[in-house]
Amino acid sequence: MPYKENRALLVSFYVAIGLFSLICLVPFVLAVSGSLSTEAKIAADGYSLLPRGFTLDTYRFMFSSKTEQIVRGYANSVMVTVLGTACSVLVTTAYAYVITAKGFRYRNFFAFLAYFTMLFSGGTLPWYILSTKYYHLDDTLAGLFIPYLLNVFLMYLQANYFRSIPHEVVESAQMDGAGHIKIFFRIMLPLGQVGLVTISLFYALQFWNDFYLPLMLVTDEKLFTIQYMMYYMMANIQFLASGNAARIGGAIVAPPLETAKLAMTCLTVLPIAVLYPFLQRYFVRGIIVGSVKG
Amino acid sequence: MIRRLTLFSLLAALLLVTACSSQSNEGGNAGSNAAPAPSSEASGNASETPAGTSGADFSEPVTLKLLFYTGQSQRLAEIAGKELKELVKKEINAQLDLTYLPWSEYGGGKTDLMLSSGEEFAAYTDINYLSKSVSKGLYADLTPYVDDYAPDLKSNVAAASFDAFKMNGKQYAIPVGNRASSAAFYSVMVRQDLLEEVGMSSVGSLAELEEYYDKVHAKHPDMIGFASADATYMLMYEYTDMNLNWINNFIAVNEAAEDDKLISWYESPEFKAYASLMNGWYKKGIIPKYAATNQPQLLSDWNVGKAMFYPGTATRPIEGIASITQAVPTAKLQNYFLNKNDRPKISRGTYNTAYFVSANAKHPERYVAFFNLLQKNQELYDFFTYGIKDKDYTIDEKGRIANLTSDLFFDDWMMMNDKFMRFETNVSDDFIEEYKHWDDDAILSKTAGFNFDNTKVKNEEAKLNGVYTEFVAPISSGFVDYDTYFPKTLEKLKAAGLDAYIAEYQRQFSEWSAGRPQS
Repeated sequence: MPYKENRALLVSFYVAIGLFSLICLVPFVLAVSGSLSTEAKIAADGYSLLPRGFTLDTYRFMFSSKTEQIVRGYANSVMVTVLGTACSVLVTTAYAYVITAKGFRYRNFFAFLAYFTMLFSGGTLPWYILSTKYYHLDDTLAGLFIPYLLNVFLMYLQANYFRSIPHEVVESAQMDGAGHIKIFFRIMLPLGQVGLVTISLFYALQFWNDFYLPLMLVTDEKLFTIQYMMYYMMANIQFLASGNAARIGGAIVAPPLETAKLAMTCLTVLPIAVLYPFLQRYFVRGIIVGSVKG
Repeated sequence: MIRRLTLFSLLAALLLVTACSSQSNEGGNAGSNAAPAPSSEASGNASETPAGTSGADFSEPVTLKLLFYTGQSQRLAEIAGKELKELVKKEINAQLDLTYLPWSEYGGGKTDLMLSSGEEFAAYTDINYLSKSVSKGLYADLTPYVDDYAPDLKSNVAAASFDAFKMNGKQYAIPVGNRASSAAFYSVMVRQDLLEEVGMSSVGSLAELEEYYDKVHAKHPDMIGFASADATYMLMYEYTDMNLNWINNFIAVNEAAEDDKLISWYESPEFKAYASLMNGWYKKGIIPKYAATNQPQLLSDWNVGKAMFYPGTATRPIEGIASITQAVPTAKLQNYFLNKNDRPKISRGTYNTAYFVSANAKHPERYVAFFNLLQKNQELYDFFTYGIKDKDYTIDEKGRIANLTSDLFFDDWMMMNDKFMRFETNVSDDFIEEYKHWDDDAILSKTAGFNFDNTKVKNEEAKLNGVYTEFVAPISSGFVDYDTYFPKTLEKLKAAGLDAYIAEYQRQFSEWSAGRPQS
């Protein structure tokens, strides 16, 4: 019976996936339990899956001394994610529409222009000079998302959704007198909705997780995002632990508490961890739809 | 088709040209601006307004951008907005713009970008980063300003420290801080509490150090022995009769000999002796097995009191104790030399922190004046290091300090100056006494003040560093056996150009030694 075979296969798949998920889950559990343990126990016995000497002190400590920074970090992250996603989806879909518009003569030229930046870049220094000296993006909120407005890969992804929309639909609209703006907003966007959701999610995740732009362009603490605060802390710990500190003065500085590090990790991951289960089906569906029709 | 191809290639060429030219322009600008700007301003300043006895001129209000690593504490932010602001305004007519980056950006990363893109700022540097940046023309020459703008600093910081940050006779960075710095890493810093716990009182030789390990290991089998993978300095007195000092990974000098001969370290019999010692430690478990793959863990273990000894410096016992006592309240640290006998301690003169000013700074002299403030006198030293008296700290009748806040001001490891520094109430008198006489038998290294110009052997240097990380480091940390692995490693080193590299080093060093005034 093929059905039985399938069943055995299915069971083994489920077991394999289940085990794999458990393995992936372990670091998270360690982080959560570590953040709920007492510092002395962690120092003495190391991490464990269940909190050692359960306490909320670490969170209490972080929120008593750093509430303002953490709240501001969250606010900045949310702002950057929302604004960044909205703007970049607009720019990306518009670009994708242009390079798929059949009547547009230079569409291949523009497609190549975008493609070219995937292969070659001017390097970090020219990028930095352009961003700070010419566009003055340093220490501004805009600087935290403008450089990422067009992700070429996602733009091509969106272009593929647009291509999958039958050209006749556009033609009939044109016959009815619709211009490009109308076609774009009234026909292409609604019909390319699945792609839209997918790229929005990708963008949102990218903006939420980004620490590179704040690192490069922001020194004002008021603009720190939660990810950057996290990166900042980790980078300092790593540097002090690597012994490089000896080069400039032989300092051994007490690194931040282990539990604080983990608590910070939990705070950063929390929103994504909460939202992801509800959103991830769009990722999968979005990519599949594109691949079949593309 | 052909038309389109032409268009594309044209476009590609255009993009490449713009990318390249923007890069080279910047480099060129930074380079050419660097040299002439400071000197012309210097002469201008000196002749225009000879204010008082010195040539310092503070008439024009300026903003100084200072870049620090780590972060700004709440209290520092508070005083930066008030007391510090007023002080700097009053003393040198300037405003401070304090910016912070994570440590990952030190000596590279964003600091490099800021330098290369011609921003104006000052930050700390070490000798390596200094010589790299000066050769690209990124640091301002501060020579003309030291006498006029930093007279107090000059008298409160050792001249050797100033010399250490010179290149081609020019002062490219200003040292701040002045502390007992000889024999850095040559001592073993031991957990004295554990030593006493196992019935020993001191450690004076390798044999005693291993005895200490054995005894503690028997009592606390979960503790690790040595919390580092490098004991080149610490064990030197044991494996050789010379008095060795290292210029870099590859080159050593014998400070006891009156010559200018450089020793190719890895080819020397001393390296063999050292590597065998380390291999013995590794096999025995004194260096934990995980050290080969996870070195940062070693320091973490040390910091939570799970290790027995660590390389020491004059100040480490008081700098490092705070984090250990969080986990082990009874912990005590003590420096010991293994079999040193009467060999003098070696001072390199570079142990202090120094600040550079970027080449495009409009007022480099005002930065120098600010560094002067940091170590001008006891009052200002206290202010920058500890905050405001009776609010942030108190001083008892013995001159010991008690901090009332855990917030840091200007990093004390950077500020530390023997003339001004204060000890906390829990530091023992013995330690202070030892610290005061730490440098008494020290000699200045014959390499102090020598900076290597690597232009001619850049490729060799890069290759050698690659070989070092991949093949040499495991041998020198004792993770693998010298006899089995060294012959092949030596081949790799030779292939990478070790001989040419050392020859070039020797040539420059001999030249420099010959031209140096004998003291």
